[in-house]
Parts: sequence; structure tokens; C-alpha cells
Amino acid sequence: MEADSQLVARAQSGDQQAFAELVSRHSAHVFRLAVSILGREFIPEAEDVTQEVFLKVHHAIASFRGEAEFSSWIYRIAFNQAVNLKARVRFRSPHADETVLYRAAAPEPGPHRRAETAQRDQALAECIRTLPEVYQSALRLYYWLGSGVAEVGALLGVPENTVKSYLHRARLLLHGMLKERGYSCD
Amino acid sequence: MTEMEPRETEIDSLLRRSMAGPVPSLSPDFDRRLLREVRRSSQPLDRYRRILLSGYGLTSVVTSAVVMRGYGLDWGVISVTILGPLALLAAAGWARRALASSKALRASEQ
Repeated sequence: MEADSQLVARAQSGDQQAFAELVSRHSAHVFRLAVSILGREFIPEAEDVTQEVFLKVHHAIASFRGEAEFSSWIYRIAFNQAVNLKARVRFRSPHADETVLYRAAAPEPGPHRRAETAQRDQALAECIRTLPEVYQSALRLYYWLGSGVAEVGALLGVPENTVKSYLHRARLLLHGMLKERGYSCD
Repeated sequence: MTEMEPRETEIDSLLRRSMAGPVPSLSPDFDRRLLREVRRSSQPLDRYRRILLSGYGLTSVVTSAVVMRGYGLDWGVISVTILGPLALLAAAGWARRALASSKALRASEQ
């Protein structure tokens, strides 16, 4: 299989096939990263971000000097693009609880218990939204999208130990926040 | 993962339960749509630029030739005066492209 750097060199000389191959290799990862930043409510927007990222990359590929990995470059563009979009869409957010959207289908013992669980999940979702962007993204990638620590590190451009530290701190912060709101975690 | 303390284990299992849900994926025709958009956004601009530059170049050459001829210059001198800088420009463009592709090649070998 051709290395990214070789495909980039071909794309820089105008080879559209090489660019198409780069898109096919990285689009799913860029999308996952965008989704992890924007959350469940903004999946169509995450697809728009993915498209924007590749249009930017196509426009700027001639200036890519290969000093970093192509994937790191593209993920950094995606992260910034998604964070910028999130800052804009936050103002028109429907305030939908991203966890409750999928809880309704889960079997629960009774209406009272279900209401309690829904409230706690909503509180948890609100607490997650107050965390720094990288913590939120790491949490969603790890717990929702099923990425391993290595993949989270590659997408966020940080070493695996840093990802573990993000997850550790995020968990402790969330535990404290839920306790403050009067919810138990069990 | 490293060993977790009890409160971390509690929130870990809560996060696993609470955040579980369908994993989204890109539309199946995403790549095709994107590549169509890439072509759409790059081609017309290139064509427009090329037409604009060609028009400008042609007008400049004709105007220069007419003006120089008006001053009584010989066609040979006029040709050298016009084609000399154009050849220099072409050589500079070729050198720039060669430099860029050798850089890209070096990057791909690393």
C-alpha cells in the first residue's frame, strides 16, 4: 500500500486519484473526530465539517511540507474547524440531552426509575459539556465511539499517556460534579 | 488502562452505560460528493484565472509590439525584448515546480 507521503506528493502535482485515495483513507477518522467534538446532536454538521476539512486540505496541499504526518495535519485542521463550528452552533443548540436520546430504548424497571436515570444522564451530559474540549472529545471517542487510547491520541495529536491523563481527570471531575448535584454514580 | 480508584470505577461504568448508543458513520456517497465538490470549487477558478492571464498577456504583447514598432524598432529587437522576459518567467516557473516536486519526493522518502 502506498504511504500517505507518496500520495501527498502525487496530489501536490495535481493527481486527483491520489487525493481521492487520501480522502478514502482519512474521511472516517476526520468524521469521528468532528462527531466527538460536536456531540450526538450535530451529526449532519460533523459531516459538513469533514467536507470543509478536505476542501481546505485540497486548497492548501501544495503548502504541506511534510514536516509532520499528513494525518496529524489533517486532524489538527479538523479539530479547529469543529471547535469553531461548535462555538457558532452552541447558540442555536436545541438543548437536547444527547444521552437521553438513546436511553428511551433501553429497558428500565419502571417509570420512576426511568425518570431518575434520565435525570442523572441529563445531568451527566450537562457536566460533560462544561469540560475542556479535549476532555469532551476524549470521552466521546472512548466511551461512545469505541476508540482505543491509541486512536484517541492519534486523533487529538497527543501521546497515549496524555489521553489516559485526560480520561482520568475527566472522570474525577465528572464524579465530583455529579456528587455536587446530588447524584450517585452507581 | 491503569488501575482505577473506586470513585473512578463508578463513574467509568456510568459513562459506559450512559454514553452507549449507535455509532454514526459518514453517508455512503460522501467521498463521491466531496470529490465532485472539490472539482467544482477548483476548476472554474483555474479556468477563469488562465483566461484572465492569457488575455492580459496577449494584450501586453500586442501593445508593447505596436508601441515599440511606433518608435521605429526593428522586429528582431522587439521579439527579443518581448520573448526574453517571457522565457525568464517560464524558466522561473519550471524551476519552482521542480524544486517543489523534489521537496515532496524527499518528504515521501522520509
